[in-house]
Amino acid sequence: MEQSGTSTRLQAAVQDLASGVVSALRGGDHAHVVPPVGTDGEAGDLAPAAVRVLGADALLPGLLSRTPPDPAELAVFRKAFEAYPPRADAAPTVRWSHWAMARTLRRADPSSAEAPDEPDTAWLDGATWQVLTHQLAVLAPLALPGEDCAVSRLAEGRPVDVARGFVRAVRRRDWRQAAGAGRWLTLLPGVPETVGLDAGLDFVELMGGQDPLVALQVQAARRMRTGARG
Amino acid sequence: MTAPAEDLRAVAGTALAWVDSHRAGFALGEDALAVDGEVDLSWKPLGELAQVCATVTRLTDPADPLHARARGLLDFAWQETHEGALFLRLQRLEPFATYPLEVYAALAAAGLRHPAFEQAAAVVARTRGWRLTEQDPTRRLGVLRAEERCGVHPFGQAPPGLPQTWLGGLPEPWTFGRDAGYALTHVVFHLSDWGCDAAALPPDLVAYLSDWLPPWLDTCLEAGMWDLGGELLAVAAIVARTTGESVPAGDWGRLLAARGPAGEVPLDDRDLDEIGAAPGTDGDRYFLHHYHSTLMAAFAAVLAGARPAAERPAPAAAGRRPGGQGAPA
Repeated sequence: MEQSGTSTRLQAAVQDLASGVVSALRGGDHAHVVPPVGTDGEAGDLAPAAVRVLGADALLPGLLSRTPPDPAELAVFRKAFEAYPPRADAAPTVRWSHWAMARTLRRADPSSAEAPDEPDTAWLDGATWQVLTHQLAVLAPLALPGEDCAVSRLAEGRPVDVARGFVRAVRRRDWRQAAGAGRWLTLLPGVPETVGLDAGLDFVELMGGQDPLVALQVQAARRMRTGARG
Repeated sequence: MTAPAEDLRAVAGTALAWVDSHRAGFALGEDALAVDGEVDLSWKPLGELAQVCATVTRLTDPADPLHARARGLLDFAWQETHEGALFLRLQRLEPFATYPLEVYAALAAAGLRHPAFEQAAAVVARTRGWRLTEQDPTRRLGVLRAEERCGVHPFGQAPPGLPQTWLGGLPEPWTFGRDAGYALTHVVFHLSDWGCDAAALPPDLVAYLSDWLPPWLDTCLEAGMWDLGGELLAVAAIVARTTGESVPAGDWGRLLAARGPAGEVPLDDRDLDEIGAAPGTDGDRYFLHHYHSTLMAAFAAVLAGARPAAERPAPAAAGRRPGGQGAPA
C-alpha cells in the first residue's frame, strides 16, 4: 500500500522476526530466525534495524537451548548491535537493551568483546509499581534464567510489585506489558502463589497472542518456567 | 505521602453533610409496603444509609460532629420505619423475603431494635425453607450476619459459605471485574461487621487483599468507577487496621478529584445526559447517581481516619512481601 512508510515496514519486519523467534522457541522450526546479511530486497535491508528493535531476544531460542547460533544470524545480530549504539541522550531502557545485546553477543560468541559496564538503575529508584512494571516489560529480554544484572536484582527485590503490575496490565488489556511482566514473574522469588501465573500466561496468550511480540514473551516465559521446574 | 487522616475526616464530614441535605431521597415512599414496590429505590437506600451511619457512630467519639450527624441520620431512618414497626408489616407481606431482616440488621447494629420483629424473624428463620433460600454466596453471608445481629444465631460463627464466594476462593487477581469487585467488598464488609471488627478477617484473606487491592484500585479509578473505587478504599482501610499499611493517598486523590460541587461522589463517569434517559425528575436521577458512592466515600474515609496508627505490620506478612514496601501506590 502507498501509505506504508519506513516505520510501517520496519514494524512488519519486527513482527516477522518475532514470529520466527516464537516458532523456534516452540521447537517446531529451526529455520533462520534472522534474515542473513546479504538477503536480497527489503527484508535484508531492514533486518539489522528489526533485530535492534527486538534486541537480545532475536537470539533467544539458541540461548535457551544452548545451541550455537548460525554464523549468518550472528553476523546480522552483530551488525545490528554495532550500527545502533545508544545516543548520548538515550533513555535508560535503550541503554539497557543495547547492553543486553552485548551480553548475548558474548554468550553466543565468546570471542566477542566483553559486555561493557552495566548502565545504572537510578531511574527506577522509588519508581511506583506501575512504572516499574512498565519499564521491566520493555526490558523483558533481560529476564533470563541464571543471568544476573542490576535490573534483575532490582526486580528480585520487588516481586509483589511486578505481580501487581501484571494484574494491572491484564485489567487494562495491555497484552505486551502483561506478557513481559509475566516473563519476569517466572524468574522472581517471592511472587504470591495466588497470582496464578500459568493460567495467567495462557490467558494473555489467548487474548493477545496473535501479536507475535506478545506470543514471544509468553513462549519465553513458558520455556523458562519449564526449565526452572525441570 | 503521609496519611491524610485530617483530610479524610473533612472528606467524611462533607460527604455526610451532602447525604444529610438529601434526606428526602432516602425517605420511604408510599410504595414501600406495596407488594410490587421497587425495593432498590426505597428500602435499599435506607438500609445503606443506616449501615454506613451505624459504623460511623461506632468508630467516632460521641462528642465528634461526625458522630452527631450520623446519629441524626440514624434517628431519621428509624423514624422512616416507624421505629421498626414497618418491618413487622413488611414481614407479613413477604414473610420469606430476606431484605427486611438485612435492612433491620443495619439499624440494630446502631442499637435501634424492635423486639417483636426480632421474635417474628426468628420464627421464619427456623424453617428449612428460609435456610435454603437460593441466593449467591456473598448475599447468603450477609443474611447470616443479619441473623446473628438479630439474635437468631450466636455471633461469630465461621461462615460456612465463605469458600464459595469469589474472594473466599482466592481467585487469580487478574480475573477481577466489576461484579467480582462488588462481591468481594461485601464479603469483607460482612466478615468485619462493616469495618468495626477488622480482626475477624481471616489472615489468608488479609494477605491476599494486601497483595491485590493496589491494582484493583488503580484500574477501577482509572476507569472512573468511583462507586466501586470507594468500596475498595473502604476494604483497604479495613485491611490496614490489621496490617498497619498507610492510606493509599494517590488513590484517594483520584476519588476526591471526581467529587461534585458539594462533595458528592458520582457512581461512575457517565455524564448526566446519559442518566437523563432514566425515568424520574432530574433531582431523583442526580440523587440515585450519587447517594451510594457518597455514602461509600464517607464510610471509607471514617474507616481510614479511625485506623489505629500504632499497629505494626505482622512480621510474617512483611517478610512474605518483599516488594510491597517502599514504592508509593
